[in-house]
Amino acid sequence: MEVAHRYVKQRRQFGRHPHFTDQGAELLLDLRPNEEHAKAWIVKPQTTVAVQAAPDMSEHEANTTAVVLVNSGMAHLEGGWPKEVDHTEAEQVVRWRRKVEKDEDYIKQVVRLGAVVEELVKQNNAIDIYETYFEDLPPQQLCEPPSTCTLTILRDPAAIKRGAQALSWHPDGSGRLAVAYSVLEFQRQPPGMPATSYVWNVANPSAPEASLAAPVPLVTLGFNLKDHNLIGAGQYNGQVTFFDLCKGAAPVDASPVQHSHHAPLHDFAWTQSKAGSELMSTSTDGSVAWWDLRKLGEPLERLTLRERGGEAVLGGMCLEYSPPVGPTKFMVGTDQGTILAGNRKAKQPADRITASYTGHHSAVYSLSRNPFFPKYFLSVGDWTARVWNEDLRTPVSTTPYAPSHLTCGGWSPSRPGVFYTTSHAGVLDVWDYYFKQRAPVLSVRVADRPLTALAVASGGVGQAQRLAGVGCADGGVTLLQLSRGLVEMQDNEKVVIGSMLDRETSREKNLEKNAKEARAKARKEAARTAEPLDHVTDEDLAELERQFFEMTAGSDTE
Amino acid sequence: MAAAAAPAAAHQQLDPLALADFEAGLDGLHENDLIDEAEVDSIVRESILHTIGDTPWADSKVGTWTSHIIEGALKKLAALQKPMKYICHVSLTQRAGAGLHAASCSRWNQKTDGLLSVHWESQTVLALVTVFWVAL
Repeated sequence: MEVAHRYVKQRRQFGRHPHFTDQGAELLLDLRPNEEHAKAWIVKPQTTVAVQAAPDMSEHEANTTAVVLVNSGMAHLEGGWPKEVDHTEAEQVVRWRRKVEKDEDYIKQVVRLGAVVEELVKQNNAIDIYETYFEDLPPQQLCEPPSTCTLTILRDPAAIKRGAQALSWHPDGSGRLAVAYSVLEFQRQPPGMPATSYVWNVANPSAPEASLAAPVPLVTLGFNLKDHNLIGAGQYNGQVTFFDLCKGAAPVDASPVQHSHHAPLHDFAWTQSKAGSELMSTSTDGSVAWWDLRKLGEPLERLTLRERGGEAVLGGMCLEYSPPVGPTKFMVGTDQGTILAGNRKAKQPADRITASYTGHHSAVYSLSRNPFFPKYFLSVGDWTARVWNEDLRTPVSTTPYAPSHLTCGGWSPSRPGVFYTTSHAGVLDVWDYYFKQRAPVLSVRVADRPLTALAVASGGVGQAQRLAGVGCADGGVTLLQLSRGLVEMQDNEKVVIGSMLDRETSREKNLEKNAKEARAKARKEAARTAEPLDHVTDEDLAELERQFFEMTAGSDTE
Repeated sequence: MAAAAAPAAAHQQLDPLALADFEAGLDGLHENDLIDEAEVDSIVRESILHTIGDTPWADSKVGTWTSHIIEGALKKLAALQKPMKYICHVSLTQRAGAGLHAASCSRWNQKTDGLLSVHWESQTVLALVTVFWVAL
């Protein structure tokens, strides 16, 4: 601030005696505080003061770009020959060999190296470096809580997001996983959506190992059980197709459209046959068809899905086929919630559907027979997973209603009492009937999107051990490593689970018997009440009438 | 500085009466040189209004407000061309129900020197500006 103020004053006026007087205090302002506010004042009874002497740290998270690993190798077949020797000419090679073998240095070198190699060979023979000790000890009882660990996520390389609809592990446990990608919503496929599905290797999650270039997106697929290079698949338009990993990405053959299913081929299963080339498929068009890969021109057989004695055609959603129960038996979970059991080789075509199990309120998405007790099977639909006995029409056991729709599920291949369910909310539930029946022993939130598929690998070595793949609606497949407790069979488990299932079966049987008896009793009761209350027959009536007339006739004559 | 030079001219004839007058209290100042309180009041109010106006209270602005009010008032006071020294004092508080008490005490020439205090309030701001002037 610059304020200039000039004045003039004469010298003689300087230094005069001033006329100062005391002014006394003057009040400039007296503003009283607001009494209302003062009343509202509250003493804070206590305060918390935190004191720390530790150095301040801050957490930072960064999402690094995925490390892309590339495997490369080199095959060295022939080489090291001098320029003038053509190794394809046997004569030149022999001559050159003879020349070298005469060389003194060569002889010395061979003698020296021979001694070294001999020593190594002897050493390897002497020590079995792969010996496993303590083999005879019983397996340790595990008491750690079950857990899973996310190993990696296999992301669909396509730019347009498609759901991972089906997963299939390579049967030899080498950690290869085939994934079918498609969008199942009717007429909601984005334009230009790629139709390719992929085969991944767990060892290299950044890029697929092989691609399956189908003309139409695949809905389901599975490795052939005999020829592990064959992958059978069902297309969205209902065609059956198959790929050979040795022959490249293009499909080897496909069923003709006019003989295929007319709706998405939701599930198929390899059936037992000599060549291992037969399969059965089901679709929401309401039929089951049997095929042979060697002649896909026409189905071997075809069956329309109807309940026994029913008229309505039921759309097939999932298929269950296990040879231990019988090579001709199968089960189909339908869109309407009914589970149909069938036998392919029935005498009458009408008898091919042998039983139906009702109870689910919506489509049945998964059917799976217990690998240890094939009589019992698991179905997943609406909000529950149910365990059934083939012989009973009511479920042996039902899980409580889950907060969201269940989408997939299945038994553990290695433990009789464990099964898995996936939900629309992105949660994988693990149920262990050996431990508890009312709630899942483990719930893992795998993704924020609906889960679409689940495949638990059986067996496996090295990195591929104890793996489960969980497919998600955005095309990601999360690979989970299950804890040992979830995979290894517990002490006595098979016996306990078996007796539990038997107990539940007899309970259901008794309930059914009771209900039947109660029904019969009610029927009898109803029949009895329908009868007239007085038991006077016509003859009695005539007799009474006669007596009456006799008596009255007597009184008249008097 | 014609106005400031005038009293000097008046005192050149050594009039005993004028001298007595001088002794009596005006310290050689002319009547015109005295400060009109109403004028100062309007200057200060204008300065406050100009600086704060309708702006709501903000802690961060207090420093600039204070210096602007003082600067504005002193510039206008200097423009009056009176032979005076000025002292300007500003108190700014937020109007939140708290009380404010201010008083001053001085020893000076009662006839020439003086003070004026302006109490100004808006919805959220309370200002107390006190201006002292002291003859040279």
